[in-house]
Amino acid sequence: MQGWAGNILDINLTSGHIETVPLDRDMARLFLGGRGLGARLLWDLVGPEVEPLSPENVLIFTTGPITASASQTSNRFNVSTKSPLTGTILHANSGGWWGMQFKRTGYDALIVRGKAASPVMIEITPAGVAIKDAAHLWGKGVFDTTAALEQNRNKRNVLCIGPAGENLVRIAAIMNDKERSLARGGAGAVMGSKNLKAIVVEGQEKNKPADPDQFKFLLYETGKLLKASPLTSQALPEFGTAVVMNVVNEIGALPTRNFQQSQFEGADKISGEEITDTILVKNQACWACPITCTRITQTKSGKEGEGPEFESAWAFGAQCGIDDLDAITEANYQCNDLGLDTISMGNTIGCAMELAERGLLANDLGFGRADRLPGLIHDTAFRQGIGDDLAEGSYRLASKHGAPELSMSVKKLELPAYDPRGMQGQGLVFATGNRGACHETGNMLGPEVLALPRLIDRFATQGKAGIVSVHQNSAAVIDSLVYCKFANMAVAEEFFARTLTAVTGEHFTADDLMMVGERVWTLERLYNLREGFSKEDDTLPARLLHEPVSAGPSEGFTVKLAPMLEEYYAFRGWDKNGVPKPEKLKELSLEFVMEVAHD
Amino acid sequence: MKVKLFGNLRQKAGGNELVASGSTIREALANLCADNEPLHTAIFAGAELHPHLRVMVNGRDCELADGLATAVSEQDTIAIFPPIAGG
Repeated sequence: MQGWAGNILDINLTSGHIETVPLDRDMARLFLGGRGLGARLLWDLVGPEVEPLSPENVLIFTTGPITASASQTSNRFNVSTKSPLTGTILHANSGGWWGMQFKRTGYDALIVRGKAASPVMIEITPAGVAIKDAAHLWGKGVFDTTAALEQNRNKRNVLCIGPAGENLVRIAAIMNDKERSLARGGAGAVMGSKNLKAIVVEGQEKNKPADPDQFKFLLYETGKLLKASPLTSQALPEFGTAVVMNVVNEIGALPTRNFQQSQFEGADKISGEEITDTILVKNQACWACPITCTRITQTKSGKEGEGPEFESAWAFGAQCGIDDLDAITEANYQCNDLGLDTISMGNTIGCAMELAERGLLANDLGFGRADRLPGLIHDTAFRQGIGDDLAEGSYRLASKHGAPELSMSVKKLELPAYDPRGMQGQGLVFATGNRGACHETGNMLGPEVLALPRLIDRFATQGKAGIVSVHQNSAAVIDSLVYCKFANMAVAEEFFARTLTAVTGEHFTADDLMMVGERVWTLERLYNLREGFSKEDDTLPARLLHEPVSAGPSEGFTVKLAPMLEEYYAFRGWDKNGVPKPEKLKELSLEFVMEVAHD
Repeated sequence: MKVKLFGNLRQKAGGNELVASGSTIREALANLCADNEPLHTAIFAGAELHPHLRVMVNGRDCELADGLATAVSEQDTIAIFPPIAGG
């Protein structure tokens, strides 16, 4: 293969039918792969009549044209489906080894339809594709399942769900390579609804560049850029992603106790610096990645595993008023084993803590109760007791107890670790996120805090719409290639375009890539409009819009969303109701959605 | 005034928090690094700050004030972050 393998594996678990269909090359050129290709395929396969946890929903696993090429960070892959948490389009991506290995089986994508009569697994090896019984694995955790299926890092890779996915927990993740996750939006529950426990891949094919000399040159140059950047060669390897804990806290944008405050007095105790000083055993890298940001850690009790990343440390830390790093780290391990999204889990527990403290939830929960984390996480995965409510996510939990406004979510997806009252552009990112509140689809931490590529006023609103849009488009194309966004901190889109050209033999410019990003973003928007979402859903929790921050550097600020949103729709070529205009759809070669947008 | 250090600046400074004096950020940082060449090298590139290194006064980035000429007083807290990324 040169870039694209040209094949899509299509499996119907209801009938057991397995088919290989050709990849539409025009579609591939327009959407590349990963998130873009997933969105395009989902548009055709899953309409508004489909319930997310019904057999009619599909799981689409996609790689990108650069996947497995050995270009730095070319290990990632994507899953697309309709989310059981939000009802929106869902994309989630993950690193590790599985994506590279799946691509080496000779497929660009895997579509899983229907529902098996009993627990099964899919095995894709040089011997062929098989649906196998997995009854003996049902009920097992991710770690045991991964071991039982003989994970072998460079040869045989396991993707699976844990008990949370089996029990249709709406915040369940799909896990791969033991501790990597397709975390957000409940894709694990979709996999569980299909009685699909695992997908094991062994590949032999190579993604050989069309222009090997140019590819080698770009590999060398990209390596130099990654090495020269203090971000990718020092900060991330030395301290991991949680190195930003202290800076987000310092500026007054670290959500604390369910976003009641924006600074956490215990931030330093759960920071990247503290992780490195106290629990770090060693670094780990995903396949073909020189950055090595993954932390292998060990707690005082002797438990060892990956993480926590910044978001997980925040979710079980500041969000819950907990500064016990061992308890947070073990909560992270536990979520990985049970197959849960750590952001949504921690955020939802924080929501429950506030509900309890306000007397709305009959429970002795309260902020700071690190001792309650293991029980709450376990009960969520198995839907026991209060865990059955937590398993529904924070919005349904808070609504059940009469206070939906205490759910810190957008489109029912829990907010990540930024209080947008101290980062106005981040508020616009969260409000307009196609999968809900998300930091992976246009994070403004770079320009609003870290001066990447240059510093802008984080409290300003005017002009933010254009910057947010460009960031969203850029994230969409990186998720479609599929690269890691950390590579983009040292390597510009121009390099990605040149590498894509060298791998595929088809000419791409940086402008072409940004057009792909805008196309993907707009198609996702149209998908949600078709599902019945509207401008009214482009909003934030009332607390962030109406309750000023009470103290610290962001004191007195709320998110001034309305003017940013108006500017955003205009910048994107959408009408005042947030519907892309016909001329914009034409410009993006999205004529096929015209009927939905303008019927 | 209190100066908080983060990331690998802590090893170079020998601690998480130091005390410095001066009427501007430039003066305060110069005093802070007077007897610590490794720390000076980590913060300054010539007469200016290293690219992407962030200096904040009470949580506000000095680049959006007067940069190194930003006035400070004893009651202020300066925070210095080396180039970092994550999230």
